[in-house]
Amino acid sequence: MEPANSATLDALLKRGELVESTSEMTPGYLRELKHTLLVSGDTELISAPAYYLAARKAPSVNAFMTGIAIIQDELAHAHIAYHILEELGESQEALIFKRDPKAFRYPYAFDVPLESWTELVVANAMYDQAGFCLLGDIHEHGSYGPWKRGLVKVMAEENFHLRNGRNWSKRISQAGGEAREELQRAVDWMFPLTVEWFGLPDNLKQHSTQLDYRLKGLTNDQLRQQWLSTVVPFMDSIGIRVPAHQEGDGYVLDYPFPCTFDADEKRWDFKDPCSWDAVLKRWRARGPRNAEMVALFQESFAKFQVRA
Amino acid sequence: MSDSPLFHAGAGPPDSPLFHAGAGPLEGRLWSALKEINDPEMPVNLVDLGLIYGLTVDGGRVCVRLTFTAMGCPATEMLMSDVRERLLAEPGIDDVRLDVVWDPPWTSARLTADGREALRAWGLSV
Repeated sequence: MEPANSATLDALLKRGELVESTSEMTPGYLRELKHTLLVSGDTELISAPAYYLAARKAPSVNAFMTGIAIIQDELAHAHIAYHILEELGESQEALIFKRDPKAFRYPYAFDVPLESWTELVVANAMYDQAGFCLLGDIHEHGSYGPWKRGLVKVMAEENFHLRNGRNWSKRISQAGGEAREELQRAVDWMFPLTVEWFGLPDNLKQHSTQLDYRLKGLTNDQLRQQWLSTVVPFMDSIGIRVPAHQEGDGYVLDYPFPCTFDADEKRWDFKDPCSWDAVLKRWRARGPRNAEMVALFQESFAKFQVRA
Repeated sequence: MSDSPLFHAGAGPPDSPLFHAGAGPLEGRLWSALKEINDPEMPVNLVDLGLIYGLTVDGGRVCVRLTFTAMGCPATEMLMSDVRERLLAEPGIDDVRLDVVWDPPWTSARLTADGREALRAWGLSV
């Protein structure tokens, strides 16, 4: 079948209808859809080894089970994205096992190791909340039918991760003392890392192909605000400080955005603002544990390949 | 468990035949409070899911008998802390005891009519 022309696709998108097959896509739509799916699949996939390294530090048998169940969910969510990519002509095997670690498209945050149960639950409260905002937007506004339907269960399961993050954060904060200080330290480095997860601010990103194709419905700043509007009040409610506050209908950051980050020390320098070019350069170079995280699921693949 | 002090005929939810007429308004209020706690992955509350086997009140202390859908349920601690916190928020309750039981085991037959409807509406065949 001939690929759809852009006028037909534009009309379909304007009517609010869903794209169901490649015959309805233009090459541009297909390219952007694949890119969006890849970012989503890579993000879910890499969260598994990242969370696993921290889940090993679980403080009880059931907490460890919770951690493992969350990891199982994340792998299943990754599978949904890669499976759709395969239906769109990509090789899952090549995408997961044969790509260079630096070619993965997950957020930089996952290249900074989570090293304790406390850091894991903060990731559940903040990283999974970011995932919830981004996937929720695709679920609500996305134009590709098969993905939109696949996300129904994903949203419900992400809710479990959020609840784990919030329950434990609250519990650790209430415990006080060193436990609470460790929680505050985790929030201190992970909060700005999640704020930047949403990408360039709208005033620097004049045009979004993803919005044109309705692969998402909200802009970077709208999604960032949505995230802030859930995380800031929650952290306030459990007595944990975050560098942002409400002003009118929106939230304002209390530090220069963006600014420099020392990944090895897990420390932001709020006195050293930087350009978005510097942030993009840091993202492209990837973080300290990129190769290690990717190796965790890639290393055994070659060993078990049976030669024909 | 029938010899447990917590097990008695008045242990069922208010809309079940197990809820006897002698149960006071406090018990009803506590059951309603438990209905506010949802399963973390499905849009159904713990009472309609059939996880709460019974509750008894003695002064300011409430004892809840509950189970989980599977022994490998990864949310047991989360749900127990939610139950404890929610019941402690009720006026007159200052102590919450939780008794996790596996006999009789949970099956989907324990869903209430509302629970069954909620899961069906969500797309789960029960």
